[in-house]
Amino acid sequence: MNIYKPELVEIKDIIEETPDIRTLRLQFKNPETQKAFAFKAGQFAEYSVFGEGECTFCIASSPTRPEFLECSFKMAGKVTKAMSKLNIGDTMGLRGPYGNHFPIEDMKGKNIVFIAGGIGMAPVRCIIWNVLDLKDQFKDISIIYGARTVADLVYKNELEDWKKMAGVKTVVTVDPGGETPDWNGEVGFVPSIVEKVSPKAENTVAIICGPPIMIKFTMPVLKKLGFKDDDIITTLENRMKCGLGKCGRCNIGSVYVCKDGPVFTYTQMQQLPDEF
Amino acid sequence: MKEFIINTDEIANLISSLPADKWDILAPAKDGKSFDYVLSSDKPIINSEAPPSKISFKEYFFPKSETLFYYKREANEISLTEPKFAEKKLLVLAAKPCDAASLPILSKVFNWDYKDEFFNKRVNNSVIIGLSCAYSDESCFCTSVGLDRNNTKGSDIFLTPFNDKQYVLSVVSDKGDSFVKEFLPNLTEFTGTKETKEFIDNKPFDYKKTKDWIAANFENKIWAETGEVCIGCAQCAFVCPTCHCFDIVDENCDLNCGRRIKNWDACQFGVFTKHASGHNPRNSQEKRYRQRVSHKFDYYYEKFGEVLCTGCGRCTRGCPAGIDIGEIVFSISNQ
Repeated sequence: MNIYKPELVEIKDIIEETPDIRTLRLQFKNPETQKAFAFKAGQFAEYSVFGEGECTFCIASSPTRPEFLECSFKMAGKVTKAMSKLNIGDTMGLRGPYGNHFPIEDMKGKNIVFIAGGIGMAPVRCIIWNVLDLKDQFKDISIIYGARTVADLVYKNELEDWKKMAGVKTVVTVDPGGETPDWNGEVGFVPSIVEKVSPKAENTVAIICGPPIMIKFTMPVLKKLGFKDDDIITTLENRMKCGLGKCGRCNIGSVYVCKDGPVFTYTQMQQLPDEF
Repeated sequence: MKEFIINTDEIANLISSLPADKWDILAPAKDGKSFDYVLSSDKPIINSEAPPSKISFKEYFFPKSETLFYYKREANEISLTEPKFAEKKLLVLAAKPCDAASLPILSKVFNWDYKDEFFNKRVNNSVIIGLSCAYSDESCFCTSVGLDRNNTKGSDIFLTPFNDKQYVLSVVSDKGDSFVKEFLPNLTEFTGTKETKEFIDNKPFDYKKTKDWIAANFENKIWAETGEVCIGCAQCAFVCPTCHCFDIVDENCDLNCGRRIKNWDACQFGVFTKHASGHNPRNSQEKRYRQRVSHKFDYYYEKFGEVLCTGCGRCTRGCPAGIDIGEIVFSISNQ
């Protein structure tokens, strides 16, 4: 089997999340492949634009909604620029799913705090919907999400949906100066909003994804609230090419982020050489 | 291990009698002053005392550039086609032990989970005849990484010089056994004793101690000292028999067709780990050089139980900045 050859997928829908972030809804051209495609929240894929190359993103939709796949990406390099010019009906390539996943089975029966910043919401959104679709198996859910400005918030409609859900506490914040006159959410950086919301640590798992600086300053807050390192889970977003544990790009020490990750507990992260 | 006596005429006969439409022969040949593995060489150098070739034979198993598939766009439909794979078999003649050993080492990463059929097909399609090595210079250190002049790791058949005209041929693998039965059925069995030269490494190191030192010295001035000298050209990775990092890129032939290829890449390049956001986990030559040494002597060993180095010394011989990896590892293991 040629492990580098992608399956063909068709763009079924496009959502312009922010001026530079898009969500693509994809479906396999071959209905059998679509039916057979199984993944778990936290896994990623390699997306191709033929003639431009491949790019790595997490699968942003939930495995509980298997009729399509979604990815959200920020226009940043060659392939994402090409992806931002594609239209509904266009064909792309997809390889995956790759990597490990969030420990959803171990999370059952617990409170869950989701903390995300910017485009870091993409992997978190996948596990949020996974948890919300099986909500009776989990306890209290909190979602804390921040972006630089109101315009930079992704999944705006879903944020509203989550705010209305019973048993779900959703707090959305923008960085100081990023608010608009009609903004009715929080203003402040994610770490201070986490401190303000102050989720209880007992029987709680925290899932945190976002820019390294946000993670760096949120960790001490979670520690102060009493979260154990094993109960803080994040994803690493190293540059990848193969996604198969071969090309040598995503290694941190003897760990292949594409195989052993991208999901790591804070305990595991602290054991890695400081090179991510 | 079955052993036979083979003389130089029989080797010459073997080369001329292998059907050319079914077999390619790869062997070291002299190109000016340096040696290189040359395909279909009619003048192979079967000489234990020859120095290692400039570049290892890695590219015949893991090519510098390899087509993964072709894409074609017609109307709005895209079709993908597999590359055709050469049916010809490859006989590698007179491989140095430090080259032959690279194949089982590389096989670990190409097969530890997903199987890379490109590498596997090439290896399965080949027969490696290793040759005992009587060469050494100040860059060699095979004995320090668990190999030696007569190590048969990775060889299917192994030749050891017996006298001016004769070699002892040892059958190492099942593939080697089949080859000998098919193409060399009339050899005389060898029952004597081989005499081989010992290689004395003048800067021996203990690779297990080296691993432990690296694991404990992520922060150490040695990385900054070497990183300052390294110019990041990555010749070390390209001549290396075990370096295997690669890139995947698309190459268009026109607007509607092209191919996706796997190209050699190297951890010594600044863009290797650079994210699209601009963030770069290994943003200095110091970190990149540390990665190279750590990957070879610590991380790969930790993950796959093999040192990612055969001690061939090519990286040192070719380094334009004069960095001697043997010297570095020697000093590490003696700290």
